[in-house]
Amino acid sequence: MKEPRLGVFICHCGGNISDVVDVEKVRQAVEGAPGVKVAQTHMFTCSEAAQQEMIRLIREHDLNGLVIASCSPRLHQETFRQMARRAGLNPYRYVQVNIREQCSWAHPHHPGEATRKAVALVKGGIARALRARSLEPIVIKTRPEAMVIGAGIAGLEAALGLSRMGIKVHLVEKEDRPGGLLRDRGPIFPTDQKGRELVEHLWREIHRDANIRTYFRSHLCGKEGVVGDFRLKICRDGEEKEIRAGAIVVATGARPHTPQPGEWGYGSEGVCTLYEFLLHLAEHPEEKPLFYRGRRVRRLVYVYCVGSREPAGEKARTYCSRYCCTAALYTACLVHSRWPEVTQVHLYRDIRSYGKYEKYYRRALGYGSVFVRYSPQSPPEIHPGGRLRVRVRDLLTAKQEIELEADLVCLVTGLEPVHSPELLEHLKLPVGKEGFFQEVHPKLRPVETMADGVFICGCAQGPRTAEESAASGLAAAAKVGALLLAGEVKREPLVAEVIEERCDGCGECVAACPYGALELSGDRVRVRESLCKGEGACVPVCPQEALQVRGYEHETIKALIDSLAEGLADA
Amino acid sequence: MGNELSSRYDCVVIGGGIAGMETALLLGDMGFECLLVEKEASIGGKMILLSKVFPTLDCASCIATPKMAAVQNHPRVTLLTYATVESIAPREDGRLEVEITRRPTFVDPSRCTGCGQCEKVCTVARPDQFNQGLVARRAIYIPFPQAVPKKAVIERRGLSPCSAACPAGLKPHGYVALIRKGRLERALHSILREAPLPGVLGRVCYAPCETRCTRGKKGQSIPLRALKRFVAENLPREERFLPEKKIPKKVAVVGSGPSGLSCAYFLARKGLEVVIFERDEAPGGLLRYGIPTWRLPREILDQDLEDIKALGVKIVTGKEIRSLRSLREEGFEAVYLATGSLKPRTLGIPGEDLPGVYAALSFLRSYNTGKPPELSGKKVAVIGGGNVALDCARTALRCGAGEVTVIYRRDREHMPAHSFEVEEALAEGVKFLFRRAPLEFRGRERLEEILLAEVRLGEKDETGRARPVVDPSRTETFRADAVILAIGFQPEAIFRDEGFSYHPDGRLKVDPETLATNVEGVFAGGDCVTGPYMVANAVGAGKRAAYHIYRYLTGEEPRDIDLAPEVGRGDKAARVRLKAPVAYSSVFGENPVPEQAIEAAGRCLDCAVCSSCKECVETCPAGAIDLNMKPQKIRLKAGAVLIATGFRLFDPSSRPLTGYAHYPNVITAMQMERLLAPTRPYNAVLRPGDGKVPGNIGIVLCAGSRDQAAGNPWCSRICCMYSLKQAQLILGAIPIAEVTIYYIDLRAFGKGYEEFLQQAAGMGVHLVKGRVARIDELENGDLVVYYEDMEGRGGVRKARHELVILAVGALANPELRKCVREDLQLDEAGFFREIEPVREPCVTSVPGLFVAGAASGPKDIPDCVLHAGAAAAQIAAYLRSLGSEGA
Repeated sequence: MKEPRLGVFICHCGGNISDVVDVEKVRQAVEGAPGVKVAQTHMFTCSEAAQQEMIRLIREHDLNGLVIASCSPRLHQETFRQMARRAGLNPYRYVQVNIREQCSWAHPHHPGEATRKAVALVKGGIARALRARSLEPIVIKTRPEAMVIGAGIAGLEAALGLSRMGIKVHLVEKEDRPGGLLRDRGPIFPTDQKGRELVEHLWREIHRDANIRTYFRSHLCGKEGVVGDFRLKICRDGEEKEIRAGAIVVATGARPHTPQPGEWGYGSEGVCTLYEFLLHLAEHPEEKPLFYRGRRVRRLVYVYCVGSREPAGEKARTYCSRYCCTAALYTACLVHSRWPEVTQVHLYRDIRSYGKYEKYYRRALGYGSVFVRYSPQSPPEIHPGGRLRVRVRDLLTAKQEIELEADLVCLVTGLEPVHSPELLEHLKLPVGKEGFFQEVHPKLRPVETMADGVFICGCAQGPRTAEESAASGLAAAAKVGALLLAGEVKREPLVAEVIEERCDGCGECVAACPYGALELSGDRVRVRESLCKGEGACVPVCPQEALQVRGYEHETIKALIDSLAEGLADA
Repeated sequence: MGNELSSRYDCVVIGGGIAGMETALLLGDMGFECLLVEKEASIGGKMILLSKVFPTLDCASCIATPKMAAVQNHPRVTLLTYATVESIAPREDGRLEVEITRRPTFVDPSRCTGCGQCEKVCTVARPDQFNQGLVARRAIYIPFPQAVPKKAVIERRGLSPCSAACPAGLKPHGYVALIRKGRLERALHSILREAPLPGVLGRVCYAPCETRCTRGKKGQSIPLRALKRFVAENLPREERFLPEKKIPKKVAVVGSGPSGLSCAYFLARKGLEVVIFERDEAPGGLLRYGIPTWRLPREILDQDLEDIKALGVKIVTGKEIRSLRSLREEGFEAVYLATGSLKPRTLGIPGEDLPGVYAALSFLRSYNTGKPPELSGKKVAVIGGGNVALDCARTALRCGAGEVTVIYRRDREHMPAHSFEVEEALAEGVKFLFRRAPLEFRGRERLEEILLAEVRLGEKDETGRARPVVDPSRTETFRADAVILAIGFQPEAIFRDEGFSYHPDGRLKVDPETLATNVEGVFAGGDCVTGPYMVANAVGAGKRAAYHIYRYLTGEEPRDIDLAPEVGRGDKAARVRLKAPVAYSSVFGENPVPEQAIEAAGRCLDCAVCSSCKECVETCPAGAIDLNMKPQKIRLKAGAVLIATGFRLFDPSSRPLTGYAHYPNVITAMQMERLLAPTRPYNAVLRPGDGKVPGNIGIVLCAGSRDQAAGNPWCSRICCMYSLKQAQLILGAIPIAEVTIYYIDLRAFGKGYEEFLQQAAGMGVHLVKGRVARIDELENGDLVVYYEDMEGRGGVRKARHELVILAVGALANPELRKCVREDLQLDEAGFFREIEPVREPCVTSVPGLFVAGAASGPKDIPDCVLHAGAAAAQIAAYLRSLGSEGA
């Protein structure tokens, strides 16, 4: 190997780091260390100007290794790898050290100690960089084909979006018809189009589209292969079928929460959920006067947040379902426009008709809907029976208790996740604490998941309205397009490798690998690189220490630990 | 990122906020060529300005900068910042024609390294829009530390009126801005860079700059001439613009008046060999012989001449040039004629040759050379109404005249002389006799009396002044011992045989742009071309001639000779800022001290923002500043256009009851974001009024949202959440603080949002249901919030806070609509309308035009990202239907 020439750059991160960590002290601690040719600090190493400067230094000093001490590698590892590439340095000779999350943010009240830790971490990073190898990404050819699971509004939009982009689609639906929650619905906001007609419209287009194949009464029952070229199995009536696809869009939706019988009066005559009421309205749009299951409805009471925003506790649905306030208000407007004689009272906690949906709140108020705010500590009491009554304390009139007579109590329930164990098993999708699928980053990467090539959209990711589901379906389609249309996927080469002379073919590791990436080939183990995720589960089980992950070789880890310890002792 | 613009793109994305960046990156990844057009100097939109984001409390900069860097580095995304889309029109082939103006940044982006040296020397401060006006930035600025691209731009709205008015090409705004900063040496340097003779101009210029000064529209203008005089006379002339290299070419300048001196000065600075020929025994021309010494002390002139001589200019005096051939034979390759306009006009009436009748210039010349005529105790008349007449009158007084009367044929208001000159003359005791014209000078040996006729004012003539009509029937005699005729001059006809073209009155004809005469290699300027005019005009002509002579001789443009190309006057904004006259305490008089000069300069309104002081030009290590940059029109073809122009923040100053803009401690939520951001202006959460750490903070939700009276009945969707976030961040920054949020409904509707609300409540944030009606200020800067207590005891209640944050809402930003001739529909709130928001998200009413993010309605960041993703899918499908395949 050539003589090591490292550049070490330490970031202020505006003040995120330098308000706590003495970055200049860190710089001095590593300046002149063996192999370190350049040591500098920057206000924002991620800024374009700082990158330009680092590129200049890499070229000028012919650096062959790079350490940047800044934030989490999840944020900027790729940024700086790109930068290394632009500078002509192999990206895998770059090591990121996290002195923000791990130093300044972890120890804001101990600047001295945080600085000491930063010095040690940077020294560890240097040890790694000194041993880093030049690597090339693993290239996988992609198929312009995708599977969409779920044919609700999000799935339908995703399928159409993909097909229009030129990607072949396999649309898999567990029921025998498309449409999901919108299938049997009357008018929906904000377009006032009937849900049923919307679904029919989309379905006609899909049906005509030779690029989309639909599989009803089917579900995913197997997944192999890698991003860009999965081999998927679907089951229908016990029969299996293999489908190859480069990516998967999960649009399995959610279902309306249904209270337990007796809960909120549910199950008694005159008490229903909003979803049930909406289905009823869709079936009997013109009926006059308004009846619900034989009951003449003159007084309609909505109870909001049923099964939502519950106080924290085991199995509690603490989250807000986002769409229900607007849906209830929209329903109230619908009822008023057809049956203006109906008195409507809304028992609510906060009216969350956000953004442009505010117009339905204003409209409902204009139509004479009455709003009563209740506290979660004293929720409305629903007394079923011949004379259906609702008792509630109105927060807005000094917590006065009022009793309302009602012909129909409509429980405005939220959406809850659909648990589908086979999906979880085959796709290995993480699930958030509400039970919805978890995205990589809720802010900027809402449709990507930790599983490469698997995207989520619609209510499977979290409750939302029809238009939001549609947009997220298309957003997932766009991500798939960005992945597959390029024709190839590049994957991290930081995967397991076998030290041939040590391996005795015992096969312990093969069982340990959750991805099936290891196989016995003769008396040696072989790594199927395209399947390996570089997770390292195989490394500790190997009795011969014959397996290691690139970038984290035994030697590297040992050197890293030594220099961490040394760094702490020095500082 | 490709720097070269192509003439066609698959998609033009308008707006470099989070939505625009997301769509551009997705389309780029799919293989489509995208152009991202951003009106500001950096992409990043509003997100990059935020502190942290809800509900994850990620640092907004940290998650936005990778996106910004990715945009810049994407091989199929081209970034065009500081550019405005002018029009979008459909073409017959189904694509769109997009017209874009790239505004001049005045900084060459290929050279700028973003080092920020320029910001340190810039003389103009403006409110920093990226810090929501909490601090100042400079006229030249890099938007913020994480800017992409990280390049400086100059906010420069043409030239300030004073600088645009200066005939000599001085930049009064520039030197005033330098004086204001106390950099007096640099002010002199800046003056000398633009023109020679600062001492002379400081004394004799009629200062058209001051007439145009915006400050003068209400109250006194900035004393621009006095400030110039102050630096010119009080600072050593150490700075010399010595040429970097000599150019072995010789230029002859005929005449050493201000124009000739100016031309020689600039040519010598460029390294040419310049010889001035002067027929009098000393250089200076009219400056030396025409302007009375009491007005322009000769030491001042001589000091100014030193500047020119020090550059190696040779001044040959006592030598009159009679033919150009001799100059050519001596090896001069170019000639500048600056021979002035010295031939006196005559009245053509009897008695003009009587002793005691003097021509103005010869009278002044005799005074200036120390041999004035004997006027002691005598009665002197001066005929004429111009500045020269007044100079003569006041000089006559200084010669001991007993009584001096200026006789003018029109009225005082018609006098060509400046009114302040008339004032000064009156103050010195000069008398005036208006509407009289001499018919005859009478006397036996010498002048004894003047026969004057009355003058009636007739119709307006072509100059707009009343035509004087002499009435010979009404006469009177005026006794006078001497009369000085100051009725104008005209150029002497010089070089009659050289083939020059002349105007009938003897002025040389030249090309107005280059000042070239019709004779090869000969240029002319100053009074011999214009007739008698101001010194500053002559200096300006010399500068212009120098520029073109240099170009004529070398073929190169001398970029450092600034002819102030027509860039327009930028005083509109300043006129808006000019609310009331600002008096300054001490009058900036004859012998000021530096502090007075700095104070006087401090009233400058920075009309065009950039002062043209050129400190950045001289400081920039990369030589990137180019003040002559012009706007650039770009026309290109696009398959699709995405509108991702985001939203506007509600401006609470339109709601006076909020106290915003009146009470400094009432701030907007965006200002609070800046106070909390990692690149925060004060490095702490301080209230702007007095810099105190606020201990009790109120957050008022729905400021300008859900408010019919504010014109926005809609919910802005983001404010509840960012307020809950700010409350938590404030508690992190100021642990002892009390934070109260006044709300109508708490709309914590997204994934993890309700939990975020509970977390805030758990941290002790007070949540009060009640709408705030009014905010008052107390003497110590604290605020009283009046609100309706909806859940407590009811009624209107008061609460005291040290800082109040208005959670301002998001309004539509439909500006782009005017660029599209077709029916681009808006929704009821003014956002761009999606025709089928459920079935076909992001599709507008115009084919090929798509909308993403908050341009279609208020959205938080995840929803913007999702919507932008949907837009990418829609655009990719649309492009495919057009036949663009992408990758």
